[in-house]
Amino acid sequence: MQEFSYTIKDELGIHARPAGLLVKQASPFKSVISVDTGAKKADAKKIMALMGAGVKKGTTVTVSAEGPDEEEAIEVLKKFFKENL
Amino acid sequence: MGLFDAFKKKGMEIGSPLKGKCVSIKEVSDPTFSEEILGKGVAVIPEEGKVCAPADGVITTMFPTGHAVGMTASGGAELLVHVGLDTVALKGDGFKIIAKEGQKVKKGDLLMEVDLEKVKAAGYDVITPVIICNSDEYSDIRGLIDKDVNAGDTVIEIQK
Repeated sequence: MQEFSYTIKDELGIHARPAGLLVKQASPFKSVISVDTGAKKADAKKIMALMGAGVKKGTTVTVSAEGPDEEEAIEVLKKFFKENL
Repeated sequence: MGLFDAFKKKGMEIGSPLKGKCVSIKEVSDPTFSEEILGKGVAVIPEEGKVCAPADGVITTMFPTGHAVGMTASGGAELLVHVGLDTVALKGDGFKIIAKEGQKVKKGDLLMEVDLEKVKAAGYDVITPVIICNSDEYSDIRGLIDKDVNAGDTVIEIQK
């Protein structure tokens, strides 16, 4: 398993737009990818789960990937979080 | 075709959450919705601010800001009703939450209320996308667009 932690800087947290974009980034990978807020763990390929996790500015999330392409997935997601959230 | 086939072929109907005009999702000026990043669906230009359940099911996500609600319909469709564009930024101002997360609802039950004039006055578009978030699980999703609707009138038909 590969993972990284990231503290959300976006004023509005993971709302509709970033959640949609994140699912787009995560979906092509075979690995199981999740975003864990400490309180809730969401499947990064499911819009509703991601938005429902209610990730706000200042929250530190742990993004993890487990599967055959976990290393590549985590690199793509690291970049996505830095640029978008 | 036997009765069973007719029954099997019957898809599920998703109702409009609001009274207004149902239009194509492509008319939404936010690419998050118009490019179907969140899934397929339609949009309603609301005339009244009463947001009702588009189907029977369970409220899975009530956003604390009251601008959007997610529910899982009986049958498994994951529905998102997003009132207005970028309205997350209003942080709840103009929105009143009625339904709670985890609550079972019937189609037409009041989920939240929005003061449309207030949201418009704040400079936001009130167009309300209604999205099937798990669109991939359906073979056909048809929007019944370009018509005036009351809350509960069918606006989307989905087939497994």
